[in-house]
Parts: sequence; C-alpha cells; structure tokens
Amino acid sequence: MTVQSLTIINQLFEMQHKINELGHGAGFERNFNRLFSVFETDGFILQNPTGESYTDARTDCEASIVGTSSPKMKIIKTLKPVIYKKENGTVQLVQKAVVLVEKN
Amino acid sequence: MRAVNFGIDLGTTNSLIAKYDNNKVQVYKNPIGQKETLASVVAYRSERILVGDKAREYLAKDAMNVFGGFKRKMGTDEKYYVVNLDENVTPAELSTLILRELKKFVPPTENVEAAVITIPASFDSMQSNATLKAGLDAGFKEVFLLLEPIAASLAFFNASSTVEKPNGYWLVYDLGGGTFDVALIKSTDEGLKIADHEGNNFLGGVDFDFAIIDKIIIPEIIRQTGIENFEEEFRVKYGKYEMLYYQVMYYAEEAKKELSQAPATVIEFGAILNNTNYDFHITITRENIDKIFTPIVNETIKLLHKVVANNGLTVSDINQIILVGGSTFLPQVREQLTVQTGIPLNYSVDPTTSIAAGAAFYAGNKYFEPDAPAVTSIEEKIVDDLLATVDFSPADVQVDVNYTNSSRDKEEVLLITSNGELDNKYYRISRSDGGFDTGFITLKSKKTEFLPLIPGINNLFVLSVYDGDSNEITSLKKEIAIQQGMYNIDGQPLPHDICFEVDDVENKTTKLEVIFARNSLLPQKRTLYREISKTVKKGSQDTIVINILEGDKNSRPSSNLTIGCIQIEGKDLQSDLIKGSDIEIQIQLTDSRVLRTVVFLVMTQQEFKNVFSVSEKQVNIERLKEQFIQLENELIATVRQFQFNANTVWEIQAIALLEELQSVKFNLLKLKEKDKSDEKYVIAERVTRISQEYDKLGGNERIAALIEEYLYAKDTLLQVINMADFEKEELMKMYHKIEQAETAFIHSKNVSAIDNKLRQLSDLHWKALSNNIGFLITRFIEYKGYNTDGFKDYTAAKPIIKMADSALEKEAYPEFRRHVFSISSLVKTSRANNYTDFKGTGIG
Repeated sequence: MTVQSLTIINQLFEMQHKINELGHGAGFERNFNRLFSVFETDGFILQNPTGESYTDARTDCEASIVGTSSPKMKIIKTLKPVIYKKENGTVQLVQKAVVLVEKN
Repeated sequence: MRAVNFGIDLGTTNSLIAKYDNNKVQVYKNPIGQKETLASVVAYRSERILVGDKAREYLAKDAMNVFGGFKRKMGTDEKYYVVNLDENVTPAELSTLILRELKKFVPPTENVEAAVITIPASFDSMQSNATLKAGLDAGFKEVFLLLEPIAASLAFFNASSTVEKPNGYWLVYDLGGGTFDVALIKSTDEGLKIADHEGNNFLGGVDFDFAIIDKIIIPEIIRQTGIENFEEEFRVKYGKYEMLYYQVMYYAEEAKKELSQAPATVIEFGAILNNTNYDFHITITRENIDKIFTPIVNETIKLLHKVVANNGLTVSDINQIILVGGSTFLPQVREQLTVQTGIPLNYSVDPTTSIAAGAAFYAGNKYFEPDAPAVTSIEEKIVDDLLATVDFSPADVQVDVNYTNSSRDKEEVLLITSNGELDNKYYRISRSDGGFDTGFITLKSKKTEFLPLIPGINNLFVLSVYDGDSNEITSLKKEIAIQQGMYNIDGQPLPHDICFEVDDVENKTTKLEVIFARNSLLPQKRTLYREISKTVKKGSQDTIVINILEGDKNSRPSSNLTIGCIQIEGKDLQSDLIKGSDIEIQIQLTDSRVLRTVVFLVMTQQEFKNVFSVSEKQVNIERLKEQFIQLENELIATVRQFQFNANTVWEIQAIALLEELQSVKFNLLKLKEKDKSDEKYVIAERVTRISQEYDKLGGNERIAALIEEYLYAKDTLLQVINMADFEKEELMKMYHKIEQAETAFIHSKNVSAIDNKLRQLSDLHWKALSNNIGFLITRFIEYKGYNTDGFKDYTAAKPIIKMADSALEKEAYPEFRRHVFSISSLVKTSRANNYTDFKGTGIG
C-alpha cells in the first residue's frame, strides 16, 4: 500500500511541477491541494525542499552537488519530494528526496 | 562459549549486517533512513565524520576528504591523505569506521561482541589480516573471516531445505554496484569449497546507467539540439552541463529500473541549452537496452566461461548459477546468462542481502569466549542488557543542552555546553524519523547545532556522546523534543475542541469531527474536504448546513455550543448540487477568536465566505429540531434501560430531564426558519443544557457501568468472531479498529462516546453472527416459519427459500448465506424508525 501511495504521490508531484513550468499552476492549485490532502489524511507528510538550505546532516535528501561543494548550499531542484509517514503516533521517513544542490 | 551470530558483508560499494537467530536470519536496517545497506564511503567534513550514503554524495566533489572503494586497497601500504585532518588514514581505518557504523544498526539491547566478516575470494593474507584488524579495531572481541562466494552459497543452501542440492559444481555470479566476481564452488559431503574465481573490479550496475546515457540520451539531445561538442562538454567536471548531468544520471537509473518490469518507458526533462529552452521526451524500449546492455553482460559471461574452462569443466557440469548483487535483478543479465550458458539460474535468496545472510548463518555455528564469566542463559540475557545500558566510561564529562521546546520556525537552535575531559570525545544528533543525522562531531565546551523541524509534529532528537573508540557514553545521552507549529511564547490555547457536524447517514443522526483540538494555540487554519450527502436542487428549499461547534469532540452535537452556522440553500445555487459531489471548507480561527470560513462547492464552482464573531449565537431551526428529536429518543431509551436495571434514582433524574425537554417541544415544532424572535436561542440553549446534564447523569458510576458493559460486549464479540465461518479476517480488522480507539474514548469519560462505541460493537456483533453458519441456519428456520404477513413480498421470498433449502442440503454454505441475506431483506422488520425523513447537515 505504501509503495503504491509513494508512486502516486511522486507522479502527482511531477505533474504539478510540469504544470507550474508551463505557467498553469494557479488553475490547478486547488486540485493538487485536494489530491495531496487525501494522502495527508492517510498519515503521509510531503515536503518539497526546493529553496531550502542544504547541509550534510540532511539525511532526508539524496543530493547531487552541482559545482563545488561549500558549507553553505541550497537545494535548487527537487526530482522527488521528501515523504514521511505518521503511524501510531510516530513519524518515519519513507522516501528521501532526490535533489540537486549548489553553493549558496 | 557463546555463538557469534552476527554476520557482516563488508562490501566495496555497500555493506550490511545480519543476525542468525533460531534458524532464521534478520538483516538489520539503518535507524537513519531505514535502509538495509550502508554505502561504504567515509567523509571527513570540516568538523564531522560522515559514514554511509551522505558521505557518498561528496565523493565526487571533495575527493581530498571523502573515500570510497577502499576495500580494494586493504592490506596495501596505500594511505589516504585527509586535507581536513592534515593526516593520513589507511583503508583498514576506513573499514573500521564502516564496521562501527554497522554496529549501530543493531538495537542497543543486543551486544555485538563478535562477528563474521566476509572478504572477496581474491583477498590474499595481507588483505585478510587487514580486514581482521579493522574488525578488532571496531570493537569486536573476536572476528572470523568468510569468503564472499561461500557466504552466498551458504545463504542459498540453508534457505530452501526442500529443494534438492546435489553435490558437484555451482557458480556464484556476483554483479554489484561497481564490481563483478564469479566463483566456482564445489559442494561435497564434507562441505563447500571455492575451486576458482575471476573478477573485474570496475564492472557493475553503474555501467548500465552510463550505457543508457551514452547510447540513448546523449545522441537524442544532440539530434534535437544540434550542439556539436555536447558529448564532450557534458562530461567536463564542473562544466556548464553539470546540473543536467546529475538529472540525467537519475533518470537513466529510474529508466533502468522501470524497464526491468515494463516493455517501454519515457524519460522527460527540460533544460536550457545554449540559451534555448528544450523539452525532451525520450522513449526507451526494452529492445533498445537489450542491445546496449548485452556487451556489458557479455564481459561477465566471458569471465564465467573462463573460470569454468580453466578447471577442465563445461557448462553442463554446473548445477546452477547462484545470483548475487543488485544488478542481477536486470532481465538482460538473467536472459543472457540463460541463453549463453544454458545453466539454470537460482535467485531464491535476495541477491542484495545474501552475502550478509550467509555470513550470519555461518556465525550461528561459530563460537567465542566472551569476557564475562559463563552464566545461565537467562542471566546471560540480563548481563547483555546491563552491558548495553550500564555506562563503564568515567563520569568525567558533563553535557548540557539548551533549546526551546516549541517553535513556529523551520529549524531551532540547540546550544550544547560541555565540561570536563573533552579530548577524543564526539557527539552525534539524529532525528527519530531518520531525516536528520549530524554524524560524529568533535565535542567542545560550546557548540551550536541547527535542528530542522518537520511542520506540525513533535520532533524528537537524540544527542549521543561517544568516546574515541565509538563506544557510546550512555549516561550522557539527551533526548530533545521540539513541537513545531506552536509559538514559543504563550499563545492563546483553545479551551475546548472546535468541531463540525457531519451526517451519520447509516444511523440517521449526526456526529462531530474535530477541526482544532483542545489546547491548540491560536491562530489555526485548516481545509477540510467532504462529500455532499444529499442532493440539493437549484431553487429548492433544501439546505446544506455547516455547523461549527465548540465543546467536547466525544459528545453529541447537541451538547456543544454552535459558534458558526453556514446555510447554503437551493436558491443560492447556480446549478443542482448532486449527492456525492465535493465540498471544501476552509476554517480559520484568529488570535481574537474570530471564525472565518470559506466554503467552495466544487460542482457548482461557487465560493461562500463568512465571518463569525464567537460572541454571536448561531442557530439553524431545522437542525435544532432534529437534534431535539435525537436527544428525546436517547432519553426515552435511557429511561427504559434504567427501569430495566431497577435503577430508580437515575430513572427519576432522566424522566425529569425528558419532561423538561418535552416542555419546549410544541414551541419548537411551530418555529419557522425565518423566525425573528429570540425563541430559537432560548430553546437551543435549553437543548444544549439538557444534553450536557444528560451526559453527566449518574456521574462516574454510570461511566464505570458503561465501561464494564463495553468490555463485556467486547469479550463476547471476540468469541463470536472466532466462531465466524466467513470473513473472519475482515471482522477481526474491524474489531481491532474499535479496540485501537479504546484508550481515547474510555479516557474521555464521556457517556455519549462510550455509548457510541457500544453501538458499534453491537453492529459488529450482528455482522459476525451473520457470518456464522449455525446462526444463519437458525435464522433461516425462523424465516421459514413466518406466514405471508411476515414478509414484505412473499412471492419474491418463496423461490429464494426454495433455493436456500437446496443449497443447505448440498452444504453449499456461501450460496446458502447469500440466499438467507436476500430473504432477510424481504422480511418485515419491527424496528421502529423515527428518522425516516432525516435531513441532517447535508455533509457526509
């Protein structure tokens, strides 16, 4: 069930990303919020870390470093989002984000 | 003597740890990220040491401080100069760090004193001894070495005892992430022996990804863009296409995985090349990659044939090929092996974990002398537990942490202050969900760390302190909890739950759903998604009612105070609103307790905005009438129950409440929705007060009696479920669902909540009975005894009774059950239904 849910979440994330790139994001925002809320009800917590700072302590991301590495880096592109699952009162990381990072 | 039990696959690319226990092997997962594999990479960052996947990210970018693939150099005099440390490290020292990290995969209650570590068949004595030393330096009291192909064979030979494994020759084909090995194994009655082996240290899974990039993606990019020197530029380190390079690497790996299961896949990505925006859609078929993967697979098969031929054998002399390593999942590998060798393949054991599993099997039969004196098994366990929890390190270090325990920010700062002997001490902070891990950081008198927080939850961190040998000083462990989403100053907490009323159509009543829980700090905002539970025609008098209430989420709606009421009538609609269509309700409660709502009807695409001041009362008359009737019926049923139990005191109190309620019935029924008087507020207040008093009636004694009744009903239900002949699993699931919520509603000490659960148990009880053949037969005999008046439609029932008789005679019970269900739907029921015209809120 979790694997199927992750596949669907990733596909939705990708679709949202493509629609945003085409400049039609606003028209679909409500629909995407609705779809993601279904998974939130099932205990999934979804995070798009694009724009956030990146450190080597972030085990929620699998990063590829573009350019030279530096103590101050930020996430410039997210290919897969971070997904946590809340179950029986505890939260567990179920999918690491796949991201590209570069010097801030 | 004690069994070693722990087996470690210390791999070139990835490492794993497993444990043998009672004929089974458990492969441990990394508590950070829950993966079974640990990347065999060590990074010496400016102040911290990272081991594993995170270290691998820096491999290409910080080659002066990050090291992988050092297994190949074990036992050589090669040293790696670490710029950040300004000193040299040996491959054995790096392996020690990997082994120490693997030990952390094992729960602290288990004491890992000794281990079996696997080594490649090609390792000489120097390399073997270096591995042994790495194990001892990692804190193992004793280390046993085992050849990797033997480990894989052991996993295979021990896994399926039912499959015949004749003596003779076997091949272990190990194609990992970056290396390839093939070993010829000879099995005899005396055991397993490696007859010969071959390998290539630079051939593995990553070569398949590069093949997709080189042969498919790059040519397609060049075809579409016409950039002449693209291929050359693409490979330049820190070049202008570097971002695209990493994207493409990811997509190539994903495509490889997808094509293992599907005949075709599409890679889609956008890129700006030479100031032009390109959108690439590259379709890759299984056929395409068959062609480009074959040369790589052929390389491995060449080595396979070589090892067979060198030993004077032919492929027909080999029993099976045992597949090891993640890349053996590729269909091209399996197909080519079968086509080109004709030897049957065996992948019955997970190729990614088989070496660790085999090492653990071997460890189950290896023994060592532990330091502690021999004790009985029970005491041994106690000693183990103590070893894991008692701190043997000198208490010469003190560590304190300072932080704020609630935050609205995305990260919070942690101040660590330490005193005492800090030399050669490290700390490490990890978040319990696995999304954050600092690695080992040198302990200093003052340090700060920024802790990232997941929104809306209580983020739990653990700070652990280690000595120079990576042994944890358990007495210094600190647990840190930071609730994200709350102000770090005292905000205004909600004194009661804020709920909204939804229909419980099955029971023809309404129930509460919590929006903001009691004690949440204001402001709060949330969007709820629900379905319309009744059709409202455009222009009709029908209404959708969104009632927002303040009170106890476990109580009945009528016991709560309505703080917001939105009514959407048929005349407000632009088109019909069909049952089942979606409604979105955005609710916001400000610091000053102003309630704002935005209701969006998806079907009509209409938005309704409202602002309520909590000081104003909100009453919908139709809803009030239904609440009144529901409360009246409950009171009548309760009076009867008290009478039955001869509980005179409670009976008198309940009758008094019922009479008080009924005294306003006439006035309420004649009220119209447009009534301008205060009458509706007066009645609504009385209904709320009586409902609350009814909940309190009998006090704790009544609650205790209801809990007792609930527990008894639960026990009885379990017995009935265990006797069910159909759908037992489904029934058990429903039972556990009720049971899971038990603590919450029992602690709520709310009569209405416990009553509600009792009703759920009762419903499930009947459902369980209707899945019991004995009960169904009794029911059927009863129905057969009815005369025509007992049925709604006797003509329809008659042939079904005949079919049920025949099914029963043939003992075709599933069919019989279906017929009994059909008959029961045709039987007249005596159950009174007071809510035939139940309107509810219109929200399900």
